[in-house]
Amino acid sequence: MGKYIVKRVAYMLVVLILLSFIMFMIYSMVPSNRAFTDANSEIKTMKNLSPEERKTKFEELYLQYQRKYGTDTDNKVVRYLRWVGLAPLYDGSYDGILQGNLGWSYDYQQPVVEMVKTPMWVTIRLNIFATILALGITIPLGIRCAVKRGSVLDQGMQVVTIVGYSLPTFLISILFIWVFATRLGWFPPSGMKTPGSNFTGLKYWTDYMYYMALPLITMTFCSLGGMTRYVRASMIESLSLDCIRTARAKGLREKVVIYSHAWRNALIPIVTLVVGWFLGIFAGSIVIEQMFAINGMGKIMINALRSSDFDVVLLMQMFYVAMSLLGNLIIDIVYGFVDPRVRVSK
Amino acid sequence: MSKKNTGGSPKKGSNVGNWFGRIFFGGGNHLAAEMEDQQGRAAAASDVEEIISPGQQIVRNFMERKLAVGALIVLILMFVVMFVGPLFMPKYYDAYTETTQQNVPPGMNMMAIPQELKNDIKMIDGFGSFTVGLSNAGKVYVWGSTKISTTGVDVSIIPQEVQDAKIAMVAAGIDHIVAIGEDGKVYCWGYSKLGQYGTASEALARGEDLNPNIAYMPEELAENGVDVSKIRRFTCGYQCSAILMEDGTLYLWGNKLTYANIESFLVNKDLVDIDFTLNYVVGLNKLRSGVTTGTRGLYDMVRPNVSGKAVKIRDYLDGRTITSLTATSSSVGLLLSDGSVAFVGDFATNVVPAPELPADEKFVQLVGGSYHYSGLTDKGNVYSWGSNVLDQTNVPKNTSGVSEIYNGSFQTYAADDSGKLIAKWGLKGYVFGTEAHGADIFQRIINGGKMTMTIGAVAVIISSIIGIIIGCLSGYFGGKLDILLMRIAEVFTAIPFLPLAMILSAVMGRMTLSESMRIFIIMVILGVLSWPGLARLVRGQVLVARESEYVTAAKAMGVKESKIAFKHILPNVMSVILVTLMLDFGTCMLTESTLSYLGFGVQYPRPTWGNMLNGANNATIINAYWWEWVFTSAFLAVTTICINIVGDALRDVMDPKSSVEK
Repeated sequence: MGKYIVKRVAYMLVVLILLSFIMFMIYSMVPSNRAFTDANSEIKTMKNLSPEERKTKFEELYLQYQRKYGTDTDNKVVRYLRWVGLAPLYDGSYDGILQGNLGWSYDYQQPVVEMVKTPMWVTIRLNIFATILALGITIPLGIRCAVKRGSVLDQGMQVVTIVGYSLPTFLISILFIWVFATRLGWFPPSGMKTPGSNFTGLKYWTDYMYYMALPLITMTFCSLGGMTRYVRASMIESLSLDCIRTARAKGLREKVVIYSHAWRNALIPIVTLVVGWFLGIFAGSIVIEQMFAINGMGKIMINALRSSDFDVVLLMQMFYVAMSLLGNLIIDIVYGFVDPRVRVSK
Repeated sequence: MSKKNTGGSPKKGSNVGNWFGRIFFGGGNHLAAEMEDQQGRAAAASDVEEIISPGQQIVRNFMERKLAVGALIVLILMFVVMFVGPLFMPKYYDAYTETTQQNVPPGMNMMAIPQELKNDIKMIDGFGSFTVGLSNAGKVYVWGSTKISTTGVDVSIIPQEVQDAKIAMVAAGIDHIVAIGEDGKVYCWGYSKLGQYGTASEALARGEDLNPNIAYMPEELAENGVDVSKIRRFTCGYQCSAILMEDGTLYLWGNKLTYANIESFLVNKDLVDIDFTLNYVVGLNKLRSGVTTGTRGLYDMVRPNVSGKAVKIRDYLDGRTITSLTATSSSVGLLLSDGSVAFVGDFATNVVPAPELPADEKFVQLVGGSYHYSGLTDKGNVYSWGSNVLDQTNVPKNTSGVSEIYNGSFQTYAADDSGKLIAKWGLKGYVFGTEAHGADIFQRIINGGKMTMTIGAVAVIISSIIGIIIGCLSGYFGGKLDILLMRIAEVFTAIPFLPLAMILSAVMGRMTLSESMRIFIIMVILGVLSWPGLARLVRGQVLVARESEYVTAAKAMGVKESKIAFKHILPNVMSVILVTLMLDFGTCMLTESTLSYLGFGVQYPRPTWGNMLNGANNATIINAYWWEWVFTSAFLAVTTICINIVGDALRDVMDPKSSVEK
C-alpha cells in the first residue's frame, strides 16, 4: 500500500508540473507587460525631463523592471523556470514559487497570498457546510429510492433530480432568489452578514447562517440531482448482486442487508463521486458566489479575470488544479481502503 | 427470483396466487407457462411470429415511455423552431436597441385603444411604451405598457382631478403625461423625480434643493394655466414638455440633461412650431424658412425623401414656406406650403421611402412616431414610411376617407371627421416583453437558441471526434499506448473545467478577434475540455468488444487492425456513444450558458440563452423585470430537461441488462 501511495504521489507531481507549465504558457499569451506599465507610471512621476532624457531614462527603468520581474528574456521556458524558482533572475537571486513568492495582485496592491486568505476561508467554510448538507440528504434519499424502486417517492425524486441536474446553477439561483428572497422574503437575497453589523459569538453564527441559508439551499439542490441519481443507481446495482441474495437467504434482517451488505458495495463508486464532487464544488461555487455576492474565491477569480489581474488568476487556477489532483489522489487511496480488490492487486 | 423483485415489476402483476403457485409447483413450469402465454398473446396480435431486430426492439421500448416520447417531440419542436424560426424574422438584427422601449413587460395591448374612445377620438399621443387618448367628451384614456420600470409609477392611474375635469388636450412623454383642461389648468402625472413636472416652489416646499439640471415648470403656468384657444402647439418629449402659444410665448420644462440644446429654447424664441427628437428640441422659425435648433449647422440640410442627396434648406425651399414640422427620434419631417414633404436629419438604412404622390394629391397633415412618419393627403389617403422594423408602415388596405391621423411612438391611428377610428397599424406589443436595450425578447430567444444549440452541437462533435479516436486506439491497441492516452485523459480531467474555460475566454478577450472567431474558439474550448469522459467510455466498450467472436473472426481472416477497430468494433459500440453524445450535448449547452452568463462566453449583442440572462443578477431586477429571465430560462430549462429525459430513456432501453430487470 505504501509503495502504491508513493507511486501515485509521484505521478500527481508530474502532472502538476506539466499543468503548471501549460497554464503558464496560456497565461503568457496574454498581451500584458507589467514591466512596461510600471516603468511608464514611474516615468510619469518624474518632472523636468527633456524628451531625450525621458527616453533614455525610460529605457533604463524598463530594463530595470524587466530584470526585476524576470521578463528580460524572450525564452518562455526560462521565464517559467524563474516563475517556479528554478532559474536565477538577472542579479543571480531566486524568487519564484519555491521561494514563497506566489505573485502580486495589482488590484489590491498586496501579495496574492495575503489577499486570498480571507476569501479562501469563506469559500472553504461554505463548501464544508454544503457538503455535509448534501451528503446528509442525498445518501439516505438515494438508498431509499433504490430500495423502494418504483414507489411514488422514487418516481417523484426521479422527476425532481432530472430537473435538478438539467438546470444550470445560475438558473436555479435566480429561481431561488426570486422565490425565497423576493416573493416569500424568508432570506436575504445576497450578502454575507447584516450590513454594518459586528456581531460576535452566537449572534455572529445565527447571522451568518441566516445569510448563508439561501446559498446553501441552492448548492444542495444543485447537487441533489446528480448525487441522488448516482447513489440510487449504484445502490440498485449492488442490490442485484448475488451476495445480497445470499444475505437475504441467510435470513438477515432487511436493514442489515441494505446498510451493511449492499451499501458497502455501493460505496465504491460513490466515494469517487463524493470526493470529486467536493472538489468540483469549488468551481461550482464560482457561480454561487457571484450570484449571492459572497466574497469568496470564485468572486475574486471573476474580478481578477475582468480586471486582468493575471497573477491572481494564475495562482487560483493552480489552486484549482492542485485541489483536483489532490482529490484524485484521495480517491485512489480511499479506493484502496474500501475496495479489497485494489488492495490485492497492488 | 425473490418476492421483492417480482413485486417490483409492474407487467406481471404479481399476486399471491402466482407466488404460491411457484412455491408448490416450482418456478420453471410457471415461467414456461407464462412465456407461452405471452407468445400466445403476441401471436394472436399479429398471427405471424415477428422477428424483431435489436434496433426495432429499442424503438419499441422507447415508444413505451410516454414521458420520453413527449420529451423527444418537444425537443424536435425546439430544434425546428430555433433553426427555421429565424428565417421568418427578416427584420431582426442582433444589435437592435431602442431607448424608448426598454424593459417593456409582455403584452399585446400597445395598440389596444379603449372601446369607448373608438368612436369619439379627439386626440391621441404617445412617445414611449404607452399611448394617451382624449375623447371629445373630455375624458382621458391611457393604454399600452403603463408601468414605468422600477419606479412603481403607473401612468394608467389617472388622478381624480383629471377624471373630474373636462380635458381639452393631452400629450405623453416617455414616463409622464400632461393634460390641459378646458379651463386652461395644466395637469401632470407619471414619474416626476427628474423634473418631468412640478414647479420650483413646489420642490422647495417639499424641502428639496433646486436641481440645476431641471428646468422647472413655469410658476405662472401652474398658477394661472393657459388660454386653451390660444395654444398653437402642445407636445411632450423625453421627460420634457412644451406648450407654444399663438403669440409666440413658449412654456418649456423638464429634464435638461435629456436635450443638449434645451438652454437656447428656455430664453424665449420667436417660434411657430416646436417638437422633440430624441436628443434635440427643434423649432420652426417665424419666417417658416428653416429649423431652429440653437446649434449651428444642425438640421440645415434637407432631403426630399428618406435617402438621397441633402441640399441647403434655403435652396430647396425656393420660395416655399414650411407649414409645420414633426420630429421622430433622429429626423424631422417638414410639411411644405405646396403640400410636399421634406426631411432633415438622419435615417437608418433599409427604411421604406416616402411615396410619390400623384400630381393632383398633396399632403395636408404629417405626424411622426419614433422612427416612422405618416402623412394624410387631401384625398383622405394615408401613407406611412420610415422604419418598418415594428410594422409601423404597414397601412391596412382600403384606408380612405380619413380626416385626421394621430401617432403613438410606433403606431398610427386614422380617424374620420366625426372622430371615429377607421384604422390603426403599427406595433401591437411584445409577446415576451423587451430587455434592457429595448429589443424583443421573443426574437432574441429564437435567435439565441439557434446560437446556443449550434455551440453545443459543434462542441459535442469536436469532443466526440477526439474522444472516439482516442478511446478506440486506447481500447483496441492497449499496452503502452493505452497507458499514455489514459494518462493524458487524466490530465485533462484534472483541469477544473469552468475556471479554465473562463481564463481561456478572458485571454481571448484581450486579443483582437472577430466575434465569429471568438464563438468558434469557445466551441473548440468546450469540445477539447470535455472529451476524456467519452474516450473512457469508448475504451471500456472497445475492451469488451475486442474479446468477442466476430473480432476474432475478423482477425483470423486477416483484416487490418485499424480496420477492425474503426469498421468492426466502432459500429457495435455506436449506440452507447450516441446516448452519451446526447447527454453531452445538454451538458455543453449548460456550460456555454454558464460561461455566457458570467460574461466569458458569447458577448452581447450576439444573443445566446446564457448571455440573455446576464442582466438578471440582482434581486431587484429579478423581481421587477421578471419577464427578462423567466421566458429565456424556461426555454433553456425545457430544452436541457428534454435532452436529459430522452438521453436517460435511450440509455435505459439500449442497455439489455436494465430492460431485463424492469
